[in-house]
Amino acid sequence: MSTPLIIIIVLAIVLILMYNSLVAKKNQVDNIFATIDAQLKKRYDLIPNLVASVSKYMEHEKSILEDITKLRSEANKPNISQKEKIDLDAKISSALGSIMIAVENYPDLKANENVIHLQHSLNEVEAQIAAARRAYNQAVTDYNNALEMIPTNIMANAMGYRQKELFVIPENERKNIDVGELFNR
Amino acid sequence: MKSISELTDFYYNRLYPELKILEEQRKTIKKRVINIGIIYLLFVALISFYLYQNVSFDILSFFLIFALAGTKWLYSYLIRDYSIDFKNKIIAPLITEIDENLQYSPHLHILASDFNNSRLFRTRPDRISGNDYVKGEIDGTAIEFSDLLAEKKHTDSKGRESWERVFLGLFIVSEFPKKFHGQTVVLPDSAQKIFGDLVGGWLQKNNTSRNELVKMDNVEFEKEFVVYSTDQIEARYILTPAMMQKLLHFKKKTKHPIYVSFIGGKIYLAIEYNSDMFEASVFHSLLEYKIAMEYIQTLHLAVGIVEELKLNQKLWSKL
Repeated sequence: MSTPLIIIIVLAIVLILMYNSLVAKKNQVDNIFATIDAQLKKRYDLIPNLVASVSKYMEHEKSILEDITKLRSEANKPNISQKEKIDLDAKISSALGSIMIAVENYPDLKANENVIHLQHSLNEVEAQIAAARRAYNQAVTDYNNALEMIPTNIMANAMGYRQKELFVIPENERKNIDVGELFNR
Repeated sequence: MKSISELTDFYYNRLYPELKILEEQRKTIKKRVINIGIIYLLFVALISFYLYQNVSFDILSFFLIFALAGTKWLYSYLIRDYSIDFKNKIIAPLITEIDENLQYSPHLHILASDFNNSRLFRTRPDRISGNDYVKGEIDGTAIEFSDLLAEKKHTDSKGRESWERVFLGLFIVSEFPKKFHGQTVVLPDSAQKIFGDLVGGWLQKNNTSRNELVKMDNVEFEKEFVVYSTDQIEARYILTPAMMQKLLHFKKKTKHPIYVSFIGGKIYLAIEYNSDMFEASVFHSLLEYKIAMEYIQTLHLAVGIVEELKLNQKLWSKL
């Protein structure tokens, strides 16, 4: 075999490998986003239930409850982009956090079995969402790195791949177990 | 659960009468071990010399292997009664003092099936032995642990058998409060330490005998451990930022390599002490603080994982 032919074959193999690794990275990001999406939906489904159980007691927090209901209906609209979903998720997380802290001020609520069960279910979904977010961020980091690093950046450019945005993990999320501990007191 | 200082008090106050009797026993045994040991050594040396002079070198090496095994057998024979007394009178009450729900069986050990299910070690052992089995419930969470020695048999071309050590140390199995389906394994990070981030990372990623590599978002944790899992998300669901901190803290406390896996609703934790724990000290006084602390700390560490890793927290309900 002549030398130019070998060079061409090697080059072709390298290009194919690069292409495949980029596609794999992009699909990994999309796969994990799909999981987050499913879990976010699970959480949205818990919101009406939560609002119904706490609204009787919570007089001063009416505005948060209204906000969260509004955010939920927004999140349930079809055809919203990944970026919008990420933004909505951050808002809902913080609103849910304030409701959960407010529950502390109502001894009746704290002891209510329905609320306790909801808290546990929310903890569960929150824990799963937090995990999925971290997996997503890792996948996006791998993807974004490939987009910036030599030599995959050239290929990615040709394929029209664009950098993706990371989920901002709020500081209180990192301590979600501590929030849980509040309820045990 | 009782604290280490409470247990130390218990050891030196409540167990003192027993310790005193055992200490006398220990001194007699120590003398006997040394005397018989010297006689035995002289005897072995004499025979070796004779074999070396008159018979072949092969026979000599064969004899020496036998003599070595003999030493081990002789030693355990000499200290047997003392060792049994020590476990019944010191270790057993200590364990009950930590928590009365705990049951202690000096001769049992964690089952081979548990060891294999943990998937912590790739080599499947041919022989599992151990002792000092403890089982019970701490704060509603089932836990069991024991000393464990796992070995693999190798036979060379001449048909000679040899045993390779796969693991020696403390093996702990406990319930895990979260529900999960896949397998997640956390191992000491040797590749990255030896070869650095780039080559080590590449080696980890291409470890075909393990599941997918999971890169964790805690720099310190990533440096100490490597995580493999069947599910990227589930691995992070189990290894929350808080859990990673707790494992790091636990590792610092043990000062030995730790292997952790999460499989089938259980957490498996292997601490590689490379020695048999909870054995009666023969050459050091049982009243020595350092010796006492070794027993107390190891027990406290093993039982303490329920609280340390918050395995008793049932904050999550299945959806």
